[in-house]
Amino acid sequence: MTDARSVTKARTAGTSLVGDEPLIRLVDVTVTYPNGKDALINVDLEIRRGDFIFLVGPSGAGKSTLIRLLIREQVATTGRVYLAGRDLARVSRSQVHRLRRRIGVVFQDFRLLPNKTVRENVAFALEVTGAPLDEIRRRVPRLLALVGLEDQAQQLPAQLSGGEQQRAAIARALVHDPAILIADEPTGNLDPVTGWEIVQLLLEINALGTTLVVATHNQEIVTALRRRVVALEQGRMVRDEVGAAYRRG
Amino acid sequence: MGFLRFLGFTVVRAGQGFWRNKMMSLAATATVILMLVLLSGLVIVLGGLNSGLAYIESKVGVTARLVDGLAPEAVDQLVAEVSALPGVASVEFVSPEEAMRRLEQAYADRGQTLETGGSEISLYASIEVALTDPAAATSVSSALGERPEIERITTIQEQYDKLLGVTNVVRLAGLSAMILVGLTVVFMIVNTIRIAVFSRSREIEIMRLVGASDAFIRWPFIMEGMLCGLLGAVFTVLLVALVWGPIQPLLIEIFQMPTAVGAQFFTFVAVLILSVGLVVGMLGSWISVRAHLAAGV
Repeated sequence: MTDARSVTKARTAGTSLVGDEPLIRLVDVTVTYPNGKDALINVDLEIRRGDFIFLVGPSGAGKSTLIRLLIREQVATTGRVYLAGRDLARVSRSQVHRLRRRIGVVFQDFRLLPNKTVRENVAFALEVTGAPLDEIRRRVPRLLALVGLEDQAQQLPAQLSGGEQQRAAIARALVHDPAILIADEPTGNLDPVTGWEIVQLLLEINALGTTLVVATHNQEIVTALRRRVVALEQGRMVRDEVGAAYRRG
Repeated sequence: MGFLRFLGFTVVRAGQGFWRNKMMSLAATATVILMLVLLSGLVIVLGGLNSGLAYIESKVGVTARLVDGLAPEAVDQLVAEVSALPGVASVEFVSPEEAMRRLEQAYADRGQTLETGGSEISLYASIEVALTDPAAATSVSSALGERPEIERITTIQEQYDKLLGVTNVVRLAGLSAMILVGLTVVFMIVNTIRIAVFSRSREIEIMRLVGASDAFIRWPFIMEGMLCGLLGAVFTVLLVALVWGPIQPLLIEIFQMPTAVGAQFFTFVAVLILSVGLVVGMLGSWISVRAHLAAGV
């Protein structure tokens, strides 16, 4: 875990976030799609640095829309979304890529490139941002060590188990030392035991200082961990509770 | 260093993309070749015609056949008086012997020998009037026509007009064909790159998520289109270099005029082909990337 700590220290040194300022702040955010359907309605939310948040709610509740807002794939119809005090609606298109380097994302379906090895998948995320070769050579093994995939570095995704694929996806998401890691149903495709292993890894990453937002339907994990739970239903935030269990309504 | 890394990344990705999508890429390259062969043919023919026109233009003047048996003193006086006419640059007397020498030389230039079949040919004497301004041809012709020493007047204007007409038709037809083929090429490249974009949609999505800039996402595709254009252009330049020698006498044979020959014109044609290939490749892929690589909000 020494390597992991140094990764996190590097991230902390590189970030320009202000101490007490919420890392993420949503102010009265409403998202209305062109068909007139409201995906989010008057949502207010603050996420502080180092938080670990479960985002829960049934399908169609607005979780994915909230994630899309955070990674700036979408802008709010009304209201404001701030990342480290910066209004995301005011981030110009040419600057969005810089913002995304501060946010790591992992998905239920891993989204690894099937024709690249684990090492290449992680390195790819650095290559496409113009990272120098020596930085790639230095950082990739560290990240693979952090997620416990040193021995699988030369394997293709198809040769890995679901849990290992998700670990590779997490390593890739951490490649730029993001301030926040967003996991959209990270255990959705995994058996319960593997799902727990992934959650343990996410907890370790959180313990090293990275803010975690985990969208999930996994009641067992949410209830067992008793972390902050933000619940959405039909676009409205119906609950924001620390140390809560998973429950409907 | 940053730019070199970007360039390296872009070129490598473009090459990989070209190879992965090789059937479409080669089809697009083939249409580029078709267009550039047409373009080079057009440029070479127009080059020949234009150089023919320039040759005639330089020769614009009036040739006047003299009556037979004109005394040398009368010729000298005629030359002196015609030289004084407005618009006349110079006047040269061409004796029947000189006319024969020129005719034999013209045959020799084409590698032929003047065969008279045993009979003796007697050519007429003439004066060749060079003009300072082609527009003076009419006034000089009418002034010469009034003189008793002159039997018949010929000007090169008619020949010039005829060649100019041919040149204009070739230019118009060639440009129309070029535009049509050019549009087809752009369409082919647009489709090639569209398929490349679709086949790499997962990669593009990941690139966006991990914070790749628009330039890193778009330029490999644009470079791929440029690669189609460049490969087509290089192939066409090689093709033109191969046929460059044999087509020169052919053009002289067809147009009966000195044509644009030489390394300088070939260099011009080669640079033109390479530039057009690159620009068309870039244009097609740029259109495709703009249309099919939707920008993030």
